[in-house]
Amino acid sequence: MSSEPIERRVSYVGDRLRGCRCSLCGREYFDIRDYCGSCGRKSYGKMVPIDLFFEKGKLEICTFINNPTNKFTPLGCYVYGIVSFHDGKIRIPGRLTDKIWKEGEEVDLSSLEGREVVPRFRRRYSVEKSEIIPTISLTFTFADEYYPYQEYRVMKPNKEYEKPGIVGYGAYVSKFRIKEAFMERSVPFIDEDAITAAVEAGKLALIHSGVDSALIGKVYVGSESNPYAVKPIASKVAQVLKLGEEDTSGGVQFVDAVDTEFACKAATSMFKDAASLVYYPNSHVDYAMVIGADNSQAAPRGSPGGELDFFVGYGGCAFIFGKNDVIAEIEGWCSCTSDTPDFWRRDGEPFPRHGGRFTGDPAYFKHIAKAARKIMEKMRLEPKDIRYFVSHQPNLRFPTRIAKQLGFKEEQYMPGLQVANFGNTYSGASPIGLAAVLDVAKPEERILVVSYGSGAGSDAYVFITTQQLPEKRNRQKFTLKYQAENPYVEHVDYATYRKLKLGMGEN
Amino acid sequence: MSRIPAIVGVGRTRFGEHYERPPEKLMEEAWLRASEEAGIERKDLQAAYVADYFLPITNKLGLEEGFLSELTELHVQMEITRSFSSALSNACNAIQAGRYDLVLVGGMEKMTDRWDKIRDDLMLLEDPWSYYAGCTPEANHELMLRAYVKKYGIKGSELEKFNTALAHIAVKNHKHALKNEYAQYRREIRVEDVLKQRKNARRPLGLYDFAPISDGASAVVLASSEVAEKYTDKPVYVLGFASATDYITFPSREDLTHFLVSRICMENALKMAGVSRKDIHHVELYDQSTLMEMVSLEDLGFASEGKAWINIYESCQDYQGYYEIAGKRLYVNTNGGLKADGNPLGATGGAQVFEIFKQLRDEAGERQIEPPSEPFYACSLELEGFGTKGYVYIFGREPR
Repeated sequence: MSSEPIERRVSYVGDRLRGCRCSLCGREYFDIRDYCGSCGRKSYGKMVPIDLFFEKGKLEICTFINNPTNKFTPLGCYVYGIVSFHDGKIRIPGRLTDKIWKEGEEVDLSSLEGREVVPRFRRRYSVEKSEIIPTISLTFTFADEYYPYQEYRVMKPNKEYEKPGIVGYGAYVSKFRIKEAFMERSVPFIDEDAITAAVEAGKLALIHSGVDSALIGKVYVGSESNPYAVKPIASKVAQVLKLGEEDTSGGVQFVDAVDTEFACKAATSMFKDAASLVYYPNSHVDYAMVIGADNSQAAPRGSPGGELDFFVGYGGCAFIFGKNDVIAEIEGWCSCTSDTPDFWRRDGEPFPRHGGRFTGDPAYFKHIAKAARKIMEKMRLEPKDIRYFVSHQPNLRFPTRIAKQLGFKEEQYMPGLQVANFGNTYSGASPIGLAAVLDVAKPEERILVVSYGSGAGSDAYVFITTQQLPEKRNRQKFTLKYQAENPYVEHVDYATYRKLKLGMGEN
Repeated sequence: MSRIPAIVGVGRTRFGEHYERPPEKLMEEAWLRASEEAGIERKDLQAAYVADYFLPITNKLGLEEGFLSELTELHVQMEITRSFSSALSNACNAIQAGRYDLVLVGGMEKMTDRWDKIRDDLMLLEDPWSYYAGCTPEANHELMLRAYVKKYGIKGSELEKFNTALAHIAVKNHKHALKNEYAQYRREIRVEDVLKQRKNARRPLGLYDFAPISDGASAVVLASSEVAEKYTDKPVYVLGFASATDYITFPSREDLTHFLVSRICMENALKMAGVSRKDIHHVELYDQSTLMEMVSLEDLGFASEGKAWINIYESCQDYQGYYEIAGKRLYVNTNGGLKADGNPLGATGGAQVFEIFKQLRDEAGERQIEPPSEPFYACSLELEGFGTKGYVYIFGREPR
């Protein structure tokens, strides 16, 4: 049932939470209408689109669902209710997400009613493996819990820079974690996947940058856990976040959207492309967005490749590149590549395999060291000239060892080392490290980021932060420190973690 | 109104699970009983209006009309609608317009064959946006309950009483169904059972608050008042009928505590029938949930807003077979309602009309209500979706 045109229409309206308002009587509707029911024909052409995606609503009334319809069965129990926006002018149905109800747990509906909620972007329900994956933002979480409400305000740029750089960023990891030994790792809720993480990260980046989404001319999404073998994540991101100019008559966005793949460097590889694109005057692209997002895949423990199951996380990170109000300029870059099959996943296989010890020495360490040394040599930099060093972080040992090998000290590499908080987020790993550094860096500090993608290659970038970095910080509450130390984080056991990670009954 | 539609025969199957019988066989049984009562043959029928809510989805049927034609060897006009009441209103319109004098109105549904999928289908048809957000067929009733309790500020011991009153509705309907040989559930339940099911479900309404999933069929032979007496001495006249529609998305409606369609239908049907509400003694309400029965009492104007549960609570302390509202007796769902009689969607409205026909003709046997001294009118309410569409009918023993 999900492949019909209705699927396209539902995701067009429901993914973004769109509605419209009659400019004659002010009545508001969820869904797109050509004319107002009250005003009739004279309102034709006078309906103004309204957008609830970046707003917060109120959970008016709710009930507990522990006997869902078939397609919702994998979600287990959840709270469902009516959410209102604009003081009750629009009321829509909504599902509360990000909550695991325990067997027999008391449900006090009146304690939930009346609270503010934020729309979240999630899978709508489970479908067969071969079907289109439906998504929706009629899913909500409480505005005062793990994911705070943040206003998206488009800001007029103040300053144009010579060199392009990062204008804004957003990192998203889920509320759920598994804690084992030294590591805490983020675990997607059952309705999350690489697509939803990419959208969440992109949304946070827009909020942080204050950039008008219509000015973003290209979006790259790097992932190795796209639930589709063929069909980009980037198209979903572009449509949901309304990137590029919106074509109101035909339902397209005037934006270029593309997915990239190179194991864990799929996103970082595109930093230079994004920067070059915004730098080239004839491209007419003011801003470009790069997202790395993964529901990092790992076979269960005990089966081939199962070692990864101790390290994988879930999350996404988005950067917006441009020349206005830059917070970190790109000073230079250097990439290296060799055909080193240290980690791979064949088409149709659910989990990746790896070459064991081989993933370390001739792979990770070699490529990161080569790229890092080359760029430092080219730019005549010593480790002491660099305030922060961020590398790909599949575990704690690898990035620590490479940092020391390259001559960096703890205070240089620890701020960007986030793997112990969120696990290895694959394409999102080094970007999340960079975001964590930008969360704390001061102006005029140099950052060296070196990613690593199996297969194999590394991208090294040197950024230098600008005076505008601190002033943009108050636009983003949802920092990595906030996500790591959030009191609403919920820890799950191994069995729950596997269940959540596999998602809505597809694998 | 010169030509008044009159019911001259009714028939139905038992509601419940009919594992071995396809839907059209159920229809055949209902039709045979109705035709026997009316003393007609199938060739006497000039048209057939038959309802099924979603047979093509649940049973992968083709054009239902074709199945019926094969079964009856009839080649007359046949129309399929979604609810019995909707079929009946088409039939009434045709008779009033003078197009036909004798038609069949039927309803059938086969829901038990696909129990594991049916809730998705039900919900998708009821309200797609709510379905996409995770709603279940039960959830909207519970939301309405929450909205009602909030709006009327029912708290503490009052809330306990309110919840008990709703439980009494299910208990009462089961009690009525004991005397109904066609009912799906013919066993008594207790208030404690209803409350326990809610507690187990951790929800405001539990298993015993909702109508079941059923198979079944019902049929009515409808004639014009001009020919009705050829078939029976005691026709039952359709004096007034009305239909109304509302938003499909329940959360977007202005009033979350009541069904607008029921109110509109009642006003219009009463006006058409020229009957006063206080002369109605028997109503068949569409109790898909206990809450729906309570709210409908208010919607149809039998109880005042926010107060029906008090009337119900008090009437059920020592239940005498009727609700007593403002000193007046109102017999509600004497067949057991959807809760106990069963709810095969397309056929449900037919069971309501069946019951009213029997009651008005004094043929309801053990269930027979004491006919009032004043004129005896009955009324039925049927809803489609969650109050997306409504139908109200007013029936009487005499044409007006």
